[in-house]
Amino acid sequence: MARSLKKGPYIDFRLDNKVTVMNDSGKKSVIKTWSRRSMISPDFVGHTFAVHNGNKFIPVYVTENMVGHKLGEFAPTRNFRGHVAKKDKGKR
Amino acid sequence: MTKDDCYELGHITKTHGIKGELNIYLDVDDSSEYEDMDSVFLEIRGELVPYFIEELQIRINQTIIRFEDIDTFDKAAALIGTKMYLPLDLLPELKGKQFYFHEVIGFQVVDKDTGPLGTVKEFYAMAAQDLMVMSYQGKEVLIPVNDELVLNADKVNKIVNVDLPTGLVDL
Repeated sequence: MARSLKKGPYIDFRLDNKVTVMNDSGKKSVIKTWSRRSMISPDFVGHTFAVHNGNKFIPVYVTENMVGHKLGEFAPTRNFRGHVAKKDKGKR
Repeated sequence: MTKDDCYELGHITKTHGIKGELNIYLDVDDSSEYEDMDSVFLEIRGELVPYFIEELQIRINQTIIRFEDIDTFDKAAALIGTKMYLPLDLLPELKGKQFYFHEVIGFQVVDKDTGPLGTVKEFYAMAAQDLMVMSYQGKEVLIPVNDELVLNADKVNKIVNVDLPTGLVDL
């Protein structure tokens, strides 16, 4: 069942505070968090979060298209190593 | 030709029709760049064997290929699951700041503020973002690959310039 719209998105208040402080100060540093269930708000864009996957922290640089997703979606807990990037997928 | 001289283009997924056509998956950024290729290497029992392409149709959601001498369903079915390779020198030219991941393995990572850090070890391809693995002081540091953090690669001096946020190397 989806979360009630009345309540708004869930964002860990400590995490939200950290982002607010960082946005106000203009500093950019990695924000460590265990709150995988927090939704990514538009304020998070451009910040790098270290999201815990149960074993280690996975850095996640938040972009606009991640807004509305949960932080945990970007820090897989299983088979993290996955496959090594293919050579033709490395364009930047 | 060995696998070290090639990159993985994709693999054969299933047959298409009964005349030996095959459905292939191209694991590339832009499949339209491969419309003109005339042959690929297929990995048959660990060896790379050249197969000449008779017909190639790159559509929006699928790519159909027909190889020379593969003209029956049975011959085509035997190739299902086979990986396809192309020589590295056939990789499309990149423009501007772009680089291929395999080109920068072993490069020195230099941060804009703190200077030289470690070396690029490998890359992990993930759904939302790719991660660069850097060897730094005997440990692995993961760096998300995007234009904000990974600025450019200097192929002459073998340097990857980055602008890392404070605390990333200490994770």
